[in-house]
Amino acid sequence: MVIIPATTGQMGVLPGHVPTIAELKPGVLSVHEGNETKKYFLSSGFAFIHANSVADIIVVEAVQVDHIDPSLVQKGLAEFTQKLSSATTDLEKAEAQIGVDVHSALNSALTG
Amino acid sequence: MASNAAVPFWRAAGMTYITYSNICANLVRNCLKEPHKTEAINREKVHFSISKWEGGKPQRPSLFDLIHLKHELGWENCSLNVIME
Repeated sequence: MVIIPATTGQMGVLPGHVPTIAELKPGVLSVHEGNETKKYFLSSGFAFIHANSVADIIVVEAVQVDHIDPSLVQKGLAEFTQKLSSATTDLEKAEAQIGVDVHSALNSALTG
Repeated sequence: MASNAAVPFWRAAGMTYITYSNICANLVRNCLKEPHKTEAINREKVHFSISKWEGGKPQRPSLFDLIHLKHELGWENCSLNVIME
């Protein structure tokens, strides 16, 4: 089973899942194989769930959760929270919002 | 199952999905521990090698990054899209 971070919420996918396409948000993908669970942080992307019990997960960046540096996450979160309050244009606001979203997701990946 | 948000905030600000997802990926790379961070950032670098042909033979190649490549070719005003795997 895999649990994927879809924009609509966490999505558990077991063999025989109904075919679907899901947009992913920055968050944790967990892969459950027997008693083992592997966790990866995904930057964003798409998941394609096929009718034949195959799921493709397409992302730009996928990293192991234990490769994330907690101090850099805290630093980034503070930096982009500050940028969000001082942003003037729509583009600056959006860039700052993405920064806050990604670092918040990284933070909850480490704490949760 | 469809998202309730008609348009995501980054789209409303004029970003494309490629721009959005590359920003996300860059932020993730910058939060990695070493040596994974350097490895991930270096993986994203793109260099171009150009050789001039003289007398039917290629001359010593020069290496350029994207900005210097445009300068070398006189393409300063062009936009160059590089598609990577």
